[in-house]
Amino acid sequence: MKQTVEPNRGRATRPATAKGSPVTAGRIHPVVTYPFSPTGHYRDLQALYGLIERLGADPRKYSRPITVMDRKTYYSQRKAASFRAFRDRTLARCGDVLDAWCVDTCQMWYAGLGAAFERGKAGDVYWLIPGDFNYGTSVGQDVLSRLHDLPEIILELDQDLCIGEIEADFDNPKHLIDTYGTFALLYNWFPAQAREIRQYTERPRSEFFAVRHEFLGDLLTQRWYPYEQTVVMLLRAVFMRKQISRFFVGNISDLPEGRECLSSAWQQVERTERVLKTLWRERHEARPGWIERYRDLEAQSELIRRSALTILQNLLPGQ
Amino acid sequence: MSSLDYKKPLRAVNFICHAPQARSVSLVGDFNAWNPAAHPMKPMPDRSWLLTVELKHGHHRYAFLVDGVLTLDPHAQGVTRNDKGERVCLVPVS
Repeated sequence: MKQTVEPNRGRATRPATAKGSPVTAGRIHPVVTYPFSPTGHYRDLQALYGLIERLGADPRKYSRPITVMDRKTYYSQRKAASFRAFRDRTLARCGDVLDAWCVDTCQMWYAGLGAAFERGKAGDVYWLIPGDFNYGTSVGQDVLSRLHDLPEIILELDQDLCIGEIEADFDNPKHLIDTYGTFALLYNWFPAQAREIRQYTERPRSEFFAVRHEFLGDLLTQRWYPYEQTVVMLLRAVFMRKQISRFFVGNISDLPEGRECLSSAWQQVERTERVLKTLWRERHEARPGWIERYRDLEAQSELIRRSALTILQNLLPGQ
Repeated sequence: MSSLDYKKPLRAVNFICHAPQARSVSLVGDFNAWNPAAHPMKPMPDRSWLLTVELKHGHHRYAFLVDGVLTLDPHAQGVTRNDKGERVCLVPVS
């Protein structure tokens, strides 16, 4: 009987391997963001760095991985022997640690991707891997086994940006935030681009992505936001008519960290609105009559944000 | 075929399209130069359409042509665009 794979989500995936990788036009630069508030155990990080270590064994394909660690994380953890041992042994063995003071997660991306970019060259690909995920669980292992697809899609299909999409149930907070907050606000501020983005992904705030050298170079020289940077990257990709792909990387419906509280959800909606407002002004403030148009959009945006907050208040736990 | 291609193993991939009202369905993709005649799919008793194709290791773009209309696979693992700018699906082959 033939061995077959289905072209759908149920297929078995191959883990990244050191053997037999083809010579590619560009190299892949993995960038890991170390969790801001690590858990007491290292099960998830051990699983993640098991993958990172395997990447390091294939230097033709992968450059030496970079782990970005916020200095606040370092100072809050430095007295823990387990932390020091993990940092000194596992992290140092698997790649380079980049220590940086960061306002928020996306600034860690900026520091890490920027450092990797300076090592890279035309045709290379930069692969962001968020560290704060339950990689030690069976769901996390599944995600881990698919992540390598993101940079490979860029290389093989000549793409500029590949977004990893996590599937979540209809009542998952991430889904609710994106449906009633992110997309509603996007349709207000950038309606044409929002329609284009939704043709690719339902998760425009995903932290799983890979980006091509040339496009990352464009992004790094423009304003980088400390949060919701994926939305900005997608918008800029649409503005610049870049090649975008989306790839399914797993299902987090059952993971506890997907159940965010109301305060966190509100904050995410509010900062998305803040970023979109700023980006809209940047793109329009040289045009005559922009202030009137901005005030109209801002009034609509406030209604959308208030509606989103009301819906989230009705659906999410208070704390 | 280059020496690199020669080393790539082929893997059988099942494509299934649920189109019970369709009169013809074919599979198009990078692997057949988007040729509608290259890979006609076969109707199954449950009124879905099936085809098994051997593909090289890597990521391939594809779509179904349902009665001549380019149609996305709702179960695809990814979405991208083809060289014409049409939205198409992605399949990884390990």
